[in-house]
Amino acid sequence: MQVFKAMLKVMRKRFPSALVYIIVFITVSVMVTKASTKDNKFEASTLDICVFDEDDTPESRALVEFLGKSNDIAEIKNDRKAITDALYYKRINYALVINGGYAEKLKAGETADLFGSYHLDESFSTVYISQFLDEYVSSVNAYLTMGRSADEAIAATEEALSQETQVDMLRVDKAGNSHFSVDFSGYFRYMPYILISVILSVVCLALITMNKKDIRYRTNCSALKNSSYTFQMFFGSFLFVFCIWLILIIIGAFLNEEMYTGRAWLAVLNSFIFSMVIAALAVLISSFEPKDNIMSLITQITGLGMSFFCGVFIPMEMLSSGVKSFARFLPAYWYVRANDMIAEIEPYSLNDVLQCYLIQLLFAAALIFVTLLVRRLRYSSASIGSAVKKAAANS
Amino acid sequence: MFLHILKYELKNGLRTKDLIIWLILFPIGLGICFKVAFGGIYDKTEKFSTIPVAVVEESDNAAFRQVLDNITSADDPFLKVTYADRAAAEKLLDEGEVEGIIFSGDKLSLTVKEKGLPETMLKSFVEQYTVKEKIVTDAISTSPEKAQEVITALTENTASSCKEIPLTQGNPDVYIQYFYNLIAMVAMFGCNTGMHITIQNQANLSALGARNNCSPAHKSVSILAGLAGSFIMETFCMILCVSFLAFVLKVDFGERLWLVYPAAIMGGMLGVSFGFFVGSLTRVGEKAKVALMTAVSMLMCFCSGLMLANMKAIIEDKLPWFNRINPAAVISDSFYCLNIDEGYERFISKLLTMAAITAVFVFLGFISSRRKKYASI
Repeated sequence: MQVFKAMLKVMRKRFPSALVYIIVFITVSVMVTKASTKDNKFEASTLDICVFDEDDTPESRALVEFLGKSNDIAEIKNDRKAITDALYYKRINYALVINGGYAEKLKAGETADLFGSYHLDESFSTVYISQFLDEYVSSVNAYLTMGRSADEAIAATEEALSQETQVDMLRVDKAGNSHFSVDFSGYFRYMPYILISVILSVVCLALITMNKKDIRYRTNCSALKNSSYTFQMFFGSFLFVFCIWLILIIIGAFLNEEMYTGRAWLAVLNSFIFSMVIAALAVLISSFEPKDNIMSLITQITGLGMSFFCGVFIPMEMLSSGVKSFARFLPAYWYVRANDMIAEIEPYSLNDVLQCYLIQLLFAAALIFVTLLVRRLRYSSASIGSAVKKAAANS
Repeated sequence: MFLHILKYELKNGLRTKDLIIWLILFPIGLGICFKVAFGGIYDKTEKFSTIPVAVVEESDNAAFRQVLDNITSADDPFLKVTYADRAAAEKLLDEGEVEGIIFSGDKLSLTVKEKGLPETMLKSFVEQYTVKEKIVTDAISTSPEKAQEVITALTENTASSCKEIPLTQGNPDVYIQYFYNLIAMVAMFGCNTGMHITIQNQANLSALGARNNCSPAHKSVSILAGLAGSFIMETFCMILCVSFLAFVLKVDFGERLWLVYPAAIMGGMLGVSFGFFVGSLTRVGEKAKVALMTAVSMLMCFCSGLMLANMKAIIEDKLPWFNRINPAAVISDSFYCLNIDEGYERFISKLLTMAAITAVFVFLGFISSRRKKYASI
């Protein structure tokens, strides 16, 4: 097993750079899973609002306080540029100005121009808060029409607006026994990026090193059988891939705070199939023997490209249909699709999940087939012969 | 002598594969990825659009139907209503065709699939309807003589109580930050070309350095020529990068695209001078310097928001001074100011900051590469 041992040595040397990816990934995952909740209950979004109260009367203060009940009130310097920056970077979602004379106008039953809002764009939050303000004002107005005093009208409005409507989540009953919450599925969703980056950067470089001309010639003239050599190389690569996958799965179990159960095993199997696809891809790329700098470009572009195109970094529903139809030709698309179905982000059906597995396996098979073809062409005695002749001519 | 060295510097640069890979090919690849991922996300998630909703009528509720009809017949409707039975509505929701299902019976209830702002708006819409109902009941029970008046006050279309104060004509899409930071990243990657100047001029770092040291050319001349060559190459890469983003990927830089170029070029020079400074700083080997520099420039880009768009806002909250001096943040901020601001004050101050940082790096680089002759290293 000399080849195998040598390969492990090379991989051990390359491992620290891969470790960076794993550590960053785990740190981010820990932060994300800590912030998430396991139950699938609806919570209304809270917005960050900053208020410039130019009226400063009990009425305006009552409004600010009421806004603060379901939203967060933020403090921003009253300066156009500071407000623009804060709105642009979403540190606040809405900048409200309560105009001077608000209380007077409200009591007089006027509804126009009570407020101003700094406007960057027509976003959901601006429409939402504007509607809320209109509602508030017209309710106060209605109570005033009934002959109530201003204080009573505001109190009654606040009471009326505080009613909560019951909101149900679709499939809330199923989420309890699916064993694979939407939040935890995020860990598996980001896994392709890490698998691609780690496997390509370590396995490819190890295979390229083992395949260097001098080393290969030396191995070829040894007593080692060719089939044994190939077997040891494959064994080494797949052992490494398996270990990386296992580490990620074990860490996942810790993040999940329990052993995988039920449907979560489907996600585990999904990630195993995907890592095999990437292992096959690594073997294919390395048979082209790219230089170190080209290799890191390939690693980056494959990792980032597949992640951006196939819905790893950005949910698939955000991608345009053109991108999605292109992504069908990439294995990560089927991985993410299966993962979404298992987490019930998409409607779940076991047959469709199996179909996604099958397509990924076909990708692996196709990659292995192309690898064999490339190796046969590049490493055949004829092409080696011509390479030797070329080298001799150059020297 | 200056021109001679400059010529070879440029020839050398053109034949360096790393330069083409990391300053031209990689940004193009990453730019395409960003475009694919962030191109439509603002329109789909942030920008307001009509919210599709399914309504399941469990029993007859004419008043609610009337309200819905009023809303959907408006010019810019807030809701798009599809009436369906329960099974069909759940299928629509599951497939993402609608954001929620309103069950209208004696009491309204809502079913959604995700937690988000459109869902919260639907909840608020349903609540508004119940609020109106409550007000009318209150009116009938307390002052029935005014009930009709109250109903008219509630249902008539009043002018919006809120007047918008426009802030900017620029592109409000926050995801464009990624492209700003992509340019900043290319600028910072210029540090690799800057570092080669020192490597090629210091005898203990490369064979070329040894050769250059025993040539009769004055050290300051050869360093200046090297800097000039790196500036020219980096400028070329920056122009290519900005043009690719603006014309091929059609990224909207606001009204003043032509000013993006000088800002990007200044940024590139900043990157080169940063590399020149780090390269001349210590007597460590090339590999360690490259590692150090890549780590530092990636960290700067991270803090400026290359990986996480609101990183800069978080830092602005905690360490505002760091955003003023972090080169990557200054470069990407200059594009932001150009896009959002109407005047030029902030843009010019960003350019001046870049120029100042560049000058400091070049000066320090010269100081520390002085007197590093065979006798002293």
